[in-house]
Amino acid sequence: MKNTGPGWVSGVGKQFPAQASALRPRPLEELREWGGARLVRGKRLLDLGCGDGRFALGVALYASTVDGIDPDAAAVAAARKLARKNGVRNARFAVGAGQRLPYPDDAFDVVVLSWTL
Amino acid sequence: MVDALSEAHRVLAPGGMLVDARPDSRVVAYAERVKARGYQRFGIVKTNSAEIANDRASDRAIAEVVRRRLFQRGRRGRYWHRVHFDSLAELRKYLWEHLRLARRARWIVDAATRTRYAGDHFAIRRPVRYELLKTSKPPR
Repeated sequence: MKNTGPGWVSGVGKQFPAQASALRPRPLEELREWGGARLVRGKRLLDLGCGDGRFALGVALYASTVDGIDPDAAAVAAARKLARKNGVRNARFAVGAGQRLPYPDDAFDVVVLSWTL
Repeated sequence: MVDALSEAHRVLAPGGMLVDARPDSRVVAYAERVKARGYQRFGIVKTNSAEIANDRASDRAIAEVVRRRLFQRGRRGRYWHRVHFDSLAELRKYLWEHLRLARRARWIVDAATRTRYAGDHFAIRRPVRYELLKTSKPPR
């Protein structure tokens, strides 16, 4: 087992809700643990339960397209805003539930449930 | 959960991969003091019982979709993730507010030691498990 750690999270509990994505592993650190960038490189990725897009936007650099879906409309709005702010053009976000995905069959190469299931 | 996993299977192309990663409630987390070199273990942090039950339900859902042959199990493993805090009070506050973890750590150092180092930096070291599941769809 390896250790991974983000940088310092200052004032935690004051500035972030307890479940905030800022307190989770960085996307590329997670990806490295799962097998590295080759897992998503050039692939169509769906982040199921994407929240504020933490993981989806973090790996968008490698994937051909990234879709994120989450039932929390505010989180999805935050993800879209973050994507615009960072100039991520291959990411799309939608509000929806995992039980009824608004995507056609065989639409993705990788589906990620990161701290979701 | 099985419904969501079945949907994931539907939208995955043949040969596609599902990645499931989440905190590992089967292993305790640790409250640690940050030292100049390394960390000193101060306490043990358990997952609350409702979340353990949720995790077991997730495990059963995964087992069910594997049993239905929607997915084949692939590589799995565990890694550790540290969340850092400016002080012991910040760590305690985080535990109190956090929905998943027990509200209090079980300390393995005495109260005097906790008081002496209360102003130091602290961390919670959490186990995270992951599993790669390959879709069993035949190529078209």
